[in-house]
Amino acid sequence: MQDLLLGVGFGLVTASIIALSTVALSLQYSVSNIPNFAHGELMTVGAYAALVAQNAHGNVLVQAFAAALMGGIVAFGMNYLVIQPFTRRGARNIVLFILTLAISLVVQNGVLLIFGGANVGYQLSQGAPQQVGPFLFTIENEVIIVAAVVIMVAVHVLLQYTKFGKAQRAISDSRELARITGINAERVIQLTWLVDGMIAGFAGFTLGASVGSLSPTIGSSFLLVIFAAAIVGGIGKIHGAMAGALLIGVAMEVSALYVPAEYKEVVAFALLIATLLLRPQGLFSAERVVVR
Amino acid sequence: MIDYVVSTLTLGAIWCVFTYALNVTWGWTGQLDLAVFMFVALGAYVYSVVCGPPANAALGITWILGLRLPFFVGLLAAMVVTGLVGLLVGGIALRRLRDDYFAITTVVTTLTVYAVIAQFQPLFNGFTGIYGVPQPLAAFLNLPPTLYGIFLFGYVLVVLAIVIAVMYAIFHSPYGRRMRAVREDEKAAAAFGRDVYAVKLQAYVIAAVVAGLGGALMGAFLTAFNSYAWQVGETFLIYAAIFVGGSGSIRGVLLGTFFIAVLVQEVTRLLVVIPGNAYAGDALRYMIVGLLIIAVLWWRPQGLIPEPRDHDDATRLPEPGPAPSAVQHG
Repeated sequence: MQDLLLGVGFGLVTASIIALSTVALSLQYSVSNIPNFAHGELMTVGAYAALVAQNAHGNVLVQAFAAALMGGIVAFGMNYLVIQPFTRRGARNIVLFILTLAISLVVQNGVLLIFGGANVGYQLSQGAPQQVGPFLFTIENEVIIVAAVVIMVAVHVLLQYTKFGKAQRAISDSRELARITGINAERVIQLTWLVDGMIAGFAGFTLGASVGSLSPTIGSSFLLVIFAAAIVGGIGKIHGAMAGALLIGVAMEVSALYVPAEYKEVVAFALLIATLLLRPQGLFSAERVVVR
Repeated sequence: MIDYVVSTLTLGAIWCVFTYALNVTWGWTGQLDLAVFMFVALGAYVYSVVCGPPANAALGITWILGLRLPFFVGLLAAMVVTGLVGLLVGGIALRRLRDDYFAITTVVTTLTVYAVIAQFQPLFNGFTGIYGVPQPLAAFLNLPPTLYGIFLFGYVLVVLAIVIAVMYAIFHSPYGRRMRAVREDEKAAAAFGRDVYAVKLQAYVIAAVVAGLGGALMGAFLTAFNSYAWQVGETFLIYAAIFVGGSGSIRGVLLGTFFIAVLVQEVTRLLVVIPGNAYAGDALRYMIVGLLIIAVLWWRPQGLIPEPRDHDDATRLPEPGPAPSAVQHG
């Protein structure tokens, strides 16, 4: 029982990181309809930006800000420099998808070229874990969970109560209709990529802090887990993304108690495939969007 | 020097087989299959355990079989196994998923298989993999290394020539046209009575078999195979080769593969000598590949040698009886 609780505790931390990244991915996916395979790289550049800020003696807030800024810039650039010109030309969705694969190669190996492939230590503090309720958490863990909750609430407010959020939801329903009603779809999509990148960059910062070291594949190794959470929760559903992340995160960490830890990701993948086959619209969504 | 050139060309020819596999799925039926290299790896593993020596459990080395059978049995076994796995994966994944979800499913399948092969030691010896696989006819011919290298190159070329001949046969067959019809417009193909699912699944299995054959050649060439020899990233090299050469084009694929898997690969490999950064070669290679994909899709989406278009007369319909066609043939 004690082990199980510990597992759930780790699961909450993992889930918080996944949830941040998944909400970002899901937001961008639902608005632009492109499964962004370079999403992992947004986390990677965020994590490395935080590292650079730390080496420049920036405090934790500066590091977090640097991560979000870098993620935002790279995501905005991806869309502005590559995706948007192709979209204007009327490129098919599958071509846009392939472009994100190519971007992921370029960014990930750009990081490899600059920072090298070896693991680089990245530690926020060396605080000993403390007992919080039934769980054992370090300071980092607590910060990550609180930050995740705050950002989720902020995204919820953004989507539900602002004009920008309304425009986003309209575009995700139908880009054509949104355009006809006078929404500047291209502008909204640009801003969505920016927000997506900022959240993903911040998620990369939390991932780096939680892992304790960085490598150029830190983000991409998490990519499919994030897709799993997004798809299990239902693409484009922010609450679904949170629930999916919680489910995947806890399932991964708890499974590590029963099967070798190397199979953690396989558990997430199994949930992903099962969802696609049995309930492709996601567990928490009523629409059927995946099936041809 | 000659050894280097021959082994580079041999590897290039083997990569061509991989690219022809992907050309059936992506090039002709438009499926974004990201599991190609999984089939290559399975082919290499199966070949290695069929033709290789038995494992030595006393030393903690474990893999299945180890039958020391002749090379053609290994090739055949690799093709049968990858074909069956292709049937299973394609049969499930192609059933009802949209393009992007299909692609995600194939990546996830690859990562899962990768995790299992790397972690589950009894199957293929985990991370360490299989080694000591004898090369085809090496003991029988008993040639000096340079000559044997040339023989192996010839052997790979013969297999590649057979693959190309089969590809031409498929391309010009009614089945080849069915595949391209599905690629161009699934709904229209279905309206003309084509079973879209069956066409795609057949293409997927053909590709799996060809990739498995390529993998078997790879296993024979390397004489050892482990999980460091394949990653999901390798699949992107094959895609880059197809985009550069021309999706669906048999001659284009040949050109694209030699451009990516030989020229770009070898040029960036030589860059490793840049002092102070051991990763420069790898990093630059993949950055170039990524930028090339974007550039080709922007400036020349049909590739350097585009797929030949179908002509009306290629179908050789019998002359309609009462009303002779006014359209001139040829």
